[in-house]
Amino acid sequence: MTESPETSRSPTHSRPYRSSPAQYSDGPAPANLADILERVLDKGIIIAGDIKVNLLDIELLTIKIRLLIVSVDKAAEMGIDWWRNDPMLSSQAQDLSEENRELRERLAELESGGQADEDT
Amino acid sequence: MPANGLYLFAVGRGLDPAAISGVEGIDGAALEVVVWRDLQAVVCAVDLTEFGEASLARNLEDLTWLERVARTHNDVVFAVAATGTVAPMRLVTICEGEDSVRDRIEALHHDLSAALDRVEGRREWSVKVYAATAAAEPAPEPPDDKAEVGSGAAYLRRKRALADRRRAASDRSLHVADEIYGALAAAAVAARQLPPQDPRLTGRSEPMILNAAYLVAIDEGAAFRALVQRVNETHASATLEAEGPWPPYSFATLDAP
Repeated sequence: MTESPETSRSPTHSRPYRSSPAQYSDGPAPANLADILERVLDKGIIIAGDIKVNLLDIELLTIKIRLLIVSVDKAAEMGIDWWRNDPMLSSQAQDLSEENRELRERLAELESGGQADEDT
Repeated sequence: MPANGLYLFAVGRGLDPAAISGVEGIDGAALEVVVWRDLQAVVCAVDLTEFGEASLARNLEDLTWLERVARTHNDVVFAVAATGTVAPMRLVTICEGEDSVRDRIEALHHDLSAALDRVEGRREWSVKVYAATAAAEPAPEPPDDKAEVGSGAAYLRRKRALADRRRAASDRSLHVADEIYGALAAAAVAARQLPPQDPRLTGRSEPMILNAAYLVAIDEGAAFRALVQRVNETHASATLEAEGPWPPYSFATLDAP
């Protein structure tokens, strides 16, 4: 079986020292931020504390996180900064908008019976 | 003087406070255990200039802050889970003080106890299934009518055919994923499906066709891992990866599955 790399190498973040013998041995804590976030944001005991956290925001955050990449360094490399700008302005959204526009133009040409564009 | 709140990591039963005394909480704060009846809340003090309502709303949008807090939260949950039965809290659950924590435990005692009963002596295993690379992208078909190559109609036909092939491949993947999910669920106490993870978040290029969590008795962990290996070997079109044992995030919930 292909073991995920995270299970065979040391976690990148040190595990807290346990001063008494563990009742059972644990696998290493996941190094994959995706695994951590989908659990700590979306699972577990969910109750309202005294400090109000807008639950809708947490759900939206979870969705946004799913669209993000694994580390801050990679995020910076890719120029992802949704938390500062309208996500519709991100480079990937612009690429999709551009492709969308091209496809709509091609459809419009075909529907109007015009000459087919040869540049696909 | 900055006001403090108490950050809740988990509610447990039978925990050994001495075992977690050396564990660090948020920003290096010491972990404390707030006891009420037979339950224990693992907490640490946090500064409300960082964890107050307005600050939280801002900080949750900061990926650096979020990653740091999420990893600390998870590390503490792991440390605590090794000492007893634990129901992890969701991130950033903060109470004003110990009385408030005890009030919460009292109000939710029945449901918290039920959640702990569900996971006592059990651990969570994550199993992710990826489509094997060769099967991931359907092979392109050559144009069937050379005279129409380049025309708009052929362009749309090719696009539609590609979409059909992708849909068929996706249907096959879903079928394989369902089969694998069921085969593993039969060997577990409980099972849950999580949404497949975005490739941009995992850094993996192959499509993730199943993201599952299984609740497995502690002493059956090795057998479960061996089962995952066998299922992996009998499915050429899929690659299974198991991780665990982990604290039972997906199963120690207030809403019973």
